[in-house]
Amino acid sequence: MSTAVTAPSKISVKELTKSFGSNQVLKGINAQVAEGEVVCVIGPSGSGKSTFLRCLNKLEDITGGHVTVDGFDVTDPKVDINEVRRHIGMVFQHFNLFPHMSVIENIMLAPVESKKQGRDEARASALKLLERVGLAEKADARPASLSGGQKQRVAIARALAMNPDIMLFDEATSALDPEMVGEVLQVIKDLARDGMTMVLVTHEMGFAREVADRVLFMADGVICEQGRPEDLFGNPQQQRTRDFLSKVL
Amino acid sequence: MPRLQKTVAARPRTATVIGALLALAAMLFSAAGAAAAPADTPAATAAAAGSAQPAAAPSSLSGKTFVIGTDTTFAPFEFRDAGGELTGIDMDIIREIATNQGFAVEIKSLGFNAALQALSSNQVDGVIAGMSITEPRKQIYDFSDPYFESGVQMAVAKSNTDIKGYEDLKGKTVTAKTGSEGETFAKSIADKYGFTVKSLDQSATMYELVKSGNAVAVFDDYPVLAYGISQNNGLKAVSEKEKGGSYGFAVNKGQNPELLKAFNTGLAELKSSGKYQEILDKYLKDPTQAAESSFWDLLANSFPALMKGLGNTVLVTAISFALAMLIGLFMGFLKISTSVVLRGIATTFVSIFRGTPLLVWAFFFYFGIPQLTGQPIDIWVAGVLTLSLNAGAYITEIVRGSIQSVDPGQLEASRSLGLGYAKSMQKVVVPQAFKIMTPSLINQLIIMLKDSSLLLAIGFAELLYQGQQIYAGNFRITETLLIVAVMYFVVIMLLTKLANVADKRFNK
Repeated sequence: MSTAVTAPSKISVKELTKSFGSNQVLKGINAQVAEGEVVCVIGPSGSGKSTFLRCLNKLEDITGGHVTVDGFDVTDPKVDINEVRRHIGMVFQHFNLFPHMSVIENIMLAPVESKKQGRDEARASALKLLERVGLAEKADARPASLSGGQKQRVAIARALAMNPDIMLFDEATSALDPEMVGEVLQVIKDLARDGMTMVLVTHEMGFAREVADRVLFMADGVICEQGRPEDLFGNPQQQRTRDFLSKVL
Repeated sequence: MPRLQKTVAARPRTATVIGALLALAAMLFSAAGAAAAPADTPAATAAAAGSAQPAAAPSSLSGKTFVIGTDTTFAPFEFRDAGGELTGIDMDIIREIATNQGFAVEIKSLGFNAALQALSSNQVDGVIAGMSITEPRKQIYDFSDPYFESGVQMAVAKSNTDIKGYEDLKGKTVTAKTGSEGETFAKSIADKYGFTVKSLDQSATMYELVKSGNAVAVFDDYPVLAYGISQNNGLKAVSEKEKGGSYGFAVNKGQNPELLKAFNTGLAELKSSGKYQEILDKYLKDPTQAAESSFWDLLANSFPALMKGLGNTVLVTAISFALAMLIGLFMGFLKISTSVVLRGIATTFVSIFRGTPLLVWAFFFYFGIPQLTGQPIDIWVAGVLTLSLNAGAYITEIVRGSIQSVDPGQLEASRSLGLGYAKSMQKVVVPQAFKIMTPSLINQLIIMLKDSSLLLAIGFAELLYQGQQIYAGNFRITETLLIVAVMYFVVIMLLTKLANVADKRFNK
């Protein structure tokens, strides 16, 4: 993880702005994420963390500035956004599993439909992913029969099925019962250890300190402060950072 | 009764309103022409245009076929028996005369106004439809000798012994048919005898009103009333027939003189042979005919015609619903599109067809479109268009609502995996939306099946129409409607069960 500084930039964000109507949510974000780097985004609610994350794969239309991800200019209207998204896995707070499909069909959908993988091949890969998140025996279950932690692990497996270069996590543990947070964080830690480039919006400060190479503190639509976790948590420079941390730690 | 004679306007049913409705009737019926035949006479319709205009045959009419237009239901002159066959005094007379004079007739049951329209445009050779001979009509048609003397008569419930004449009506309510000579006559004496007139538009319902006691007496045309009484409709005549109009057979002015001549000759021969009186007695005198039949006889007799109606009801509903689903899905997707124009198209479509009565569109498609295009429209096409566009508007909203009620996170998750919008809708959103919309669609299907009965207004031979045809002939309105209701109920029960099984199977 200490190699992060020298690795080439996987995500590059320049002067990113985003408005919903007259309400400007992002007010000029500049950030770089290196290959293999794990970046946690923290900050008070309403600070624009999730919006920032969702701009990276254009789930939100970008109002201004430039976002380059994995070599694609996301802000270029001519770019094939579906192609870009195949390189970026995303995990949502509310899992968003497809309830009308079994667990394994959830995972196979994208490889079969957008990578045109054969069903047998897709099924074999999906089973491997399920083993990796410890849910192989749930392959033919319906999402409704799973616990929250299991659902989120399936959602991670589903995002990994496209072999993404980057993973985005939007408050992946916020909707979970406390006893299930650990199993999901463990899967994410394993991904970090394997060298996955990741951006995580999170409220788990302990986890951010443990797994992140770098922490961004966002407030009021800008990155207020950033640094290595031990610096940001141990010696915050900004008053707003100190205020926020004093409330959550 | 000088006043009665002043109502020159003709045929009892349409007498007084003819002036007022002329413009409307012309608009509605004019272009319909030959197309106005009920759906259950496809052979007659098909033969319409091609029918020969017999050239003035110098010698004999033998071997010739004449196309004769008539009304759909005007018992006892023309109506359908329980088996769906066209029968009545007019039918018997024209057929007997044809046999007598050695020519053949092809009967086209068009409706009264449409038959006259067809005569004017030479699509039929003659019209026999219980039509009064009047001066205005003599200007445009040539009439035969009168073959029937009509007139208004009063009847009361069989059990009623209080009303014996007009003077017993003081303070009471009587009923008469809207726009008929009976209504004109009743109103002309209403003030003198101190009663009020409540008008209805069908003989069968007027008789029910009297039997139920909501009116004490009915003023109706003598032959219609006599036929009803002969069919045990529960009434009895208590007044003498007022002098009324004479009915005649008509050909277009200057056309088919040999047919008119043959009709007059044949009529004279029927009268002298006693055949004519036999025909009148069959419908007006003989109270044993079709009398005393039980409910089960009624059921057995009417079942084939009702089943045919049910078949048409189910078929028109099935075709219309399939089409409505396509329309609804298409418009539903327009409704959720990001384009203002596409959304506007869908919104306009829904507003128009959800905001206007079904009947208006039935009339528009069946009577209006032919007038605009000059092409007659098949009654099935008009019926299916009416039902499918109306239901399509509702299904559009069902589709839109169901798609929008799928969690937006589902689309986001699918898009974040790199699936395009169309693929995401197809694989992720629409399958879930279908599950949500299924109960509403089943509901819509059932509503449509029942709404299809409105197509009776344009003469589409669906179940309720068949029921009306039957009770117009036998006056057993309550029992017939009961059978019809049970048939609808059974079909809808089965349909609901079937739909629920399908729902369970496909939306587990």
